[in-house]
Amino acid sequence: MNILKTFMRRLGSLIVTLVVMSVVIFVLVEIMPGDVAEMILGQSATPESLEALREARGLNDPIYQRYARWAGGILQGDLGESIYMRGVAINSILWRRVGHSVLLAFTAFIIFVPLSIFFGVLAGVKAKKLTDSIISFFGLATMALPEFVSGVFLIGLFAVQLRVFPIVSIIPIGESIFSNLNILILPALSITFVMFGYISRMQRSSMILVLNSDYIRAATLKGMPYKYVIFRHALKNALLPTITIIGMNMGWLFGGLIVVETLFAFPGMGSLLMTAIRTRDVPLIEACVLLITAIFAISTLVTDMLYGLLNPRIRYQGDAQ
Amino acid sequence: MNSNILEIQDLNVNFSIFGGMISAVRNVDLTLAKNESIGVIGESGCGKSTLSYTIMKYIAPNGQISGSIKFKGEDLLQKSEYEMRKYRGDRIAMVYQNPYSSLNPSLTIGFQLDEVTLFHRGVSRKEARELSLQALRDLNLGDPEGLVRRYPHQISGGMQQRICIAMAILCQPDLMILDEPTTALDVTTEAVILDTISELREKFSMSLMYISHDTGVINKVSDRIVVMYSGEVVETGPKQQIFEHPNHPYTRALINCIPRKGMVKERYRLNTIPGYVKRRGASEGGCPFEQRCQKKTPGCVEAYGMREISPEHTAACDRAYATDVPDMMDKLIKSHPVKSMPDGDALLEVQDVHKIFGKKRKVYAVDGVSVSVKRRSVLGIVGESGCGKTTLGQTAAGLYTPTKGQILFDGTDISVSWKKRSPEMLKQIQLIFQNPGRSLNPSHSVEQIIGRPMKKLMEISSAQQRRDMIIDLLKKVDLSKEYLKKKPPQLSGGEQQRVAIARAFSISPNLLICDEPTSALDVSVQSSVLNLLGDLQEDTQAAYLFISHDLHVINYISDYIMVMYLGRICEYGKRDEVIRPPYHPYTKALLSSVPEIDPSLEVGNIRLGGQLPNPTKTIPGCPFAGRCYVQAGKICETTKPPRVNKSDSHFFYCHLDDGA
Repeated sequence: MNILKTFMRRLGSLIVTLVVMSVVIFVLVEIMPGDVAEMILGQSATPESLEALREARGLNDPIYQRYARWAGGILQGDLGESIYMRGVAINSILWRRVGHSVLLAFTAFIIFVPLSIFFGVLAGVKAKKLTDSIISFFGLATMALPEFVSGVFLIGLFAVQLRVFPIVSIIPIGESIFSNLNILILPALSITFVMFGYISRMQRSSMILVLNSDYIRAATLKGMPYKYVIFRHALKNALLPTITIIGMNMGWLFGGLIVVETLFAFPGMGSLLMTAIRTRDVPLIEACVLLITAIFAISTLVTDMLYGLLNPRIRYQGDAQ
Repeated sequence: MNSNILEIQDLNVNFSIFGGMISAVRNVDLTLAKNESIGVIGESGCGKSTLSYTIMKYIAPNGQISGSIKFKGEDLLQKSEYEMRKYRGDRIAMVYQNPYSSLNPSLTIGFQLDEVTLFHRGVSRKEARELSLQALRDLNLGDPEGLVRRYPHQISGGMQQRICIAMAILCQPDLMILDEPTTALDVTTEAVILDTISELREKFSMSLMYISHDTGVINKVSDRIVVMYSGEVVETGPKQQIFEHPNHPYTRALINCIPRKGMVKERYRLNTIPGYVKRRGASEGGCPFEQRCQKKTPGCVEAYGMREISPEHTAACDRAYATDVPDMMDKLIKSHPVKSMPDGDALLEVQDVHKIFGKKRKVYAVDGVSVSVKRRSVLGIVGESGCGKTTLGQTAAGLYTPTKGQILFDGTDISVSWKKRSPEMLKQIQLIFQNPGRSLNPSHSVEQIIGRPMKKLMEISSAQQRRDMIIDLLKKVDLSKEYLKKKPPQLSGGEQQRVAIARAFSISPNLLICDEPTSALDVSVQSSVLNLLGDLQEDTQAAYLFISHDLHVINYISDYIMVMYLGRICEYGKRDEVIRPPYHPYTKALLSSVPEIDPSLEVGNIRLGGQLPNPTKTIPGCPFAGRCYVQAGKICETTKPPRVNKSDSHFFYCHLDDGA
């Protein structure tokens, strides 16, 4: 009951966040320099034709009317039309890209989450021993490398030398991503490089903290086997902070992979946003940024709910005392 | 046949730290017979806990153990980690100081109980659950079936500790080690738990090793006492012997530190032990207590070692008190008894103050309290945790504003937040908190800490003038001027509290609110802080609002005592009117729960079951009715108890005219 109540409350605040963000995004993009009509018609357009277009598209209306029209469209599932691509509906470009991004994020997720948690736990259990030093060194080294460096390195190794994966992640025209799943591997590995050090260090320190706690001592002195103490008593508590960190990065993972996607020419959200900004495609920028915001907000909500499920202290906050 | 459960011989534990080896436990010889109970006492840092963890063979990786620990004839120190598992939790069980942190927050109580028998007895899950329920029933815990499904944070501290004890008895161990199990709990809960422990010991014929800094608790549960100082056993013997004829100067000093029943500030100074427990390097020898001993002679370094005083009683010092001083308190009587209790007019007047926290879920922290602190007097407020004593103190200090009611200081209404009080008023009321380490800014020097209120409220802008005054103040609290530049983390707990006291007195307040100022300190430090507070009160004529859960401390320092329960007053009056004899059943129960250290004293047997009622509900009748053992009838549940005036200054709230 309680969890449902919390969920509804959080959902409410999520909607408020999205509404506020949509206003902010709309206003920000509006005050960006550049005239939409001029962009559509080009430099050589006559003032009369520009004016006619503005009038036809409602660009002369006051900003709140234009916002209402835009927001109303979004509510009905209409994200508007791309300017640069000459009136192609954004819906027809964006969702395909989102699908690709989700697939990439998912691939990266199933690689780096178990990997970094496993090695983080291992480093925490073997704290200050050789195993820990090696893991920590590797974590720090990969964390320090920007993704465009590690990405280039991966391309050099796997695509140029070993030739097991394609250099760029382009899907041939007429094919879907599912027949080209191998293009996901290199970008996903590159993301893993970025995340591994971060998550594993987080996991290591929370593991050390938990292992030093009184209840771990109590469990050990109850005569429980070492491995049992680690897995049954320590792990769940040690995972909590890590889950928060992973959750906080989910938004970035789903929508903010601009550098990685650009590097591999991966047809995802990030590279689409990059293109939209480069071509000043205002409706497309707005749609992309709003979607990324929504993903951020939803992943935070999911993280918090998951955290509550795992942590009984939060789950039962209402009837404690 | 050897009936000893535990035989420790020549046990040494050293830790290698940066810069050398320190000795935590040294040359300890100890035996524990079947069904015997020994109490280990000593201040913090004396190696009591290290000794107990060493028995479990659980020490930090930088520790080194030598000697032997024979448990039922087998040397535990020769066992591998794998073999030790068969002892831990099965043959030797342990209960810890802090039950809340000793239970895993993300596992249910049932799970944590079941796993003990699952591993040690190899039973099925169903059988394990049955055994767990049985253990909970053995501890007289109501609704065991409901309890096993709950999580540790959902039950009270006293319940948590009982769960920990239930966990310890699951395999009916031969030896149970209890490391300060009741230190974090209220006296009423403590009394119940101590009774339970004694019962269980009978029932399962367990041997007990009870570690505590509280001689009163040790007196209650132990047959034999081991006094530890700086890692060594300095005296051991039967309880009666130790309390009546303590031979080692440390034992004697420790016993005398505690404000006992009947000790009041007008007549007695508390004994103090100058200095603090020093960490010793593994190579340092000689008597560990030498530096703090008042009876030391030049021969103390050589003539040192355990000696027999009587067949059962040995001490590491047989000269100091060879001819026993009959009344140990003789020399502690103040040379000039302090003038009798002041009957001045009211300095602080609390009028029907209510403090309700929260809007939706209301917590009635203070529920209609009217009381006054007389000029130049000490009002002691006592009660269990959650009774609203701290909230009342902080409301008077302006940290909270009362929801209803008025607070008058010297006739001025101060029922507002401290932010709205005039600098003059802020100067009048000062606070001392329980934990000086957390209430002093760790990055400020002592000079900055004490000087700041002078600068802000007294507007003394000359740094030199302030420094002179600070040095004067430090002298008053027995600190030298070397402390000026030190920062709180460099000071011991007692020194920190002295700095906090100096800070409070730096602007000559008329009212000092002391919120459990000695609860976090060792007994020897507590006594010196209490002496200091008593002296300062005499010198400065300030009034105190002294909050404590410790009735001995309250009895020692207070002129007036107020007993609180669930945000309301139970009893109020002059000290002796409240304490001897107590009238309100709750006062009586509190007094009866306090562990006494004089084995010859009759101990009360009133035990309060249950816990504080839910503070979010208003109670139509007497708040204490649910736990009261002498009820007047149904009226207790339905009608607020009337005020019974015993004298001009003494009243209590009860339906029974004479209380209990």
